[in-house]
Parts: sequence; structure tokens; C-alpha cells
Amino acid sequence: MPEDLQLIRKRKGMEAAQLAARAGIPLSLLKEYEAGSKPISPDHLRRLARALYVEPWDINPRSAPPRREEKPLPPRREEKPAAPPSPKKEKPRREPRPPAPIREGQIAHLLSAAARFGIDRAALEAQIGKPLEQMNEVEGRQWNRRFTERLKAEKPPKKPIDRRRAYLPEGVDRFESDYLEAVKASGDTIAFTLFNGEQHHGAVIGYCPYSITIRQADGSETTLNKLAIAYYRRAGGSA
Amino acid sequence: MSLGDELRYLRAFYGGIGPSAIEDKTGLPRGTLRYMEQRYRRVGEDDEVLAKLAAFYGTTLENLQFHRERYRKAFSAYLQQGLESGQPIRVRLRTGETLSGVVRWWDLGAFGLQEQDQLTVVQRHAVVDWEGADVR
Repeated sequence: MPEDLQLIRKRKGMEAAQLAARAGIPLSLLKEYEAGSKPISPDHLRRLARALYVEPWDINPRSAPPRREEKPLPPRREEKPAAPPSPKKEKPRREPRPPAPIREGQIAHLLSAAARFGIDRAALEAQIGKPLEQMNEVEGRQWNRRFTERLKAEKPPKKPIDRRRAYLPEGVDRFESDYLEAVKASGDTIAFTLFNGEQHHGAVIGYCPYSITIRQADGSETTLNKLAIAYYRRAGGSA
Repeated sequence: MSLGDELRYLRAFYGGIGPSAIEDKTGLPRGTLRYMEQRYRRVGEDDEVLAKLAAFYGTTLENLQFHRERYRKAFSAYLQQGLESGQPIRVRLRTGETLSGVVRWWDLGAFGLQEQDQLTVVQRHAVVDWEGADVR
């Protein structure tokens, strides 16, 4: 009478992994055979029989599915009576922390906001009633908020941005611009020396960031590229 | 003259094509040349990059290395020192001339050099070398 694979293996005192290794089949497949979820192929049946020292017909080609053994339920825990609510411990009241001192950023913000209304530091401190450094963070916040609201309401004019800075190094920057303005106004003749040694004489009639236009003695106008100019000075030698 | 000034000067002589076109021709990463031309700090530490640019413009690596040491901020420091001390300074120009005088003012593009009663406005990019540039 053929018997189930697992029954024979256990009788022979063999581990599943040991049998799988001996028969040369994967352990997972062996477990499927033992669980009855797959019928044992004829080839594997021969191998298993050889490994178990039985005849192939001694092994049931399809094992019966294992019975589920009902596990006994764990004993119920005895319900403990609910503990009476513990009296609330009253936390000791903490003293409110003193506010942190004013931050440098707050002072800077306050000064710049006040400056928009023409209020300098001294006037601001007089208005607040104490030096800015003696204020705390909360006061700083309140005063900044006050100025922000005032700025929103009144919109004082912004300082015009100085756009005369040169973008490229050969551009006309602040002091050179002042000089060119002065010589343009005076109408003096300026001697320009270029990189290649060429010289041009004329009165400055205009300039832009990267070039200067002059009117020469014959009335012709020439625009000199700043990158080509080495230096220039008033012709005749005055500052 | 800083490396940036020299590179812009060379580019102007080359025909004034854009930095990106030169970057493409020399195989440099985009933005490399523009960065080198515009910085005020010392730039151009990579000699390989300088060698590529030198080959492109037909100049020598040594020339670009010379200008690398004469960056704009170093020259600003020299001018400021001259302005504060009131001592005459000496600069060698691209034209081959050497000018000396007292610094009256300086900005990003030029400086005023007073010699006796004459003020000369010298373009910063025309200064090839100055006294003490090697000593730093």
C-alpha cells in the first residue's frame, strides 16, 4: 500500500533538506510534493524512492493534504479590575521666561525702515525711549511691525539707485564720468592716446559706457572705443 | 593688465567674436572664457585652459601667465596704497610708455594720475605692469 512521502521520510528519520539533497530536487518542490499541492513526477518519484531506500510504488504520487490541527486557544486572561484614576499631579508653574534681547538683524531692519522716513538713530531712540540695544526681541518685532504698516500706508519715496557703476572694466565709472562731465562742460580740447600710439584731439561732446565721442578741430566727430584708449589728458597741460 | 583684460584685448583683435564662439572653437566648457574675462579676482589657475587660449590667439602661455599675476584687485590695492600714501606710482602701459605721478582718484575703469600740473586719465586696461607687481 503506497504511503505519503512525508510519512516515509519521517519514519526513516530524514530531514526534508537532507532528502532533497540526496534526491537532487529543490527543497521547495519537495515541500510542495509533501503538502500534496503537486503530484510527484515519475522521474522524481524514482529518485525519491532511491534516496529513501523504498520502491517507487511504495510512495503515494500525490500526498494527501495535511490536516489542520486545531490549536488550542490561549487561556483567557483574567480581567483585572480597572485601576482607580490616579490623582493628577499638578505641575509646578514655571515663571514666564524673560524675552530674548533684540537681534542685530532686527536693529538693522528698524534703522533702514526709519531711514525711509528720514528718522536717524538718535531720533528713533528718542521715540522709543531707550537705546536700541536695550530693547528685547518682542519690542523689536513690534516696532518693526509699526514701521512696516507705516511704509505700506505712506509709501515714502525710495532712494534712486546709483547706476553709474561700470559693468565691464573698460566702462566709464564714477570718477571718470565726473571728469568727462567737467571737460564736456568746459569744452576743452582733450588729447587721446590709443593703444596703437595714434593720437586724437578734440572736445568731448558725449560718452556712453564703452565709448567717447569727440569733435575735432575740423568739425568732424569721432567715436573712440574705450577699449582702444590708453590714456587722455587736457591738451596744453592743465588738470 | 589683468588676464581678463588681456583676453578681451586679444578677442577684440581677433575680430570681436563672442566668448561662447571661442569656447566652442577651443573646446572649453561654456562660461569659462566669460568668467575669466570679467572677474576682478585672480583667475586662470588651470594652465591647460590657458594653453588652449594661447594657441587659439597665437600668443604664448607665458604671456597669459604673466597677466594672471596682475589681476585687477591687486592693481586696485596698488592704486589705493598710492592714493593713501600720496607717493608717486609708476605704471608701464601697453603703448610702451611709462607714466608716473600721484594717484588722485581711481575707479573700476580708470585712474587719475597727477604729474606736476597735469592730470592724465589712464585706462586701467592699458596698464601692462606696475612697480612692485612681482614682489607680492
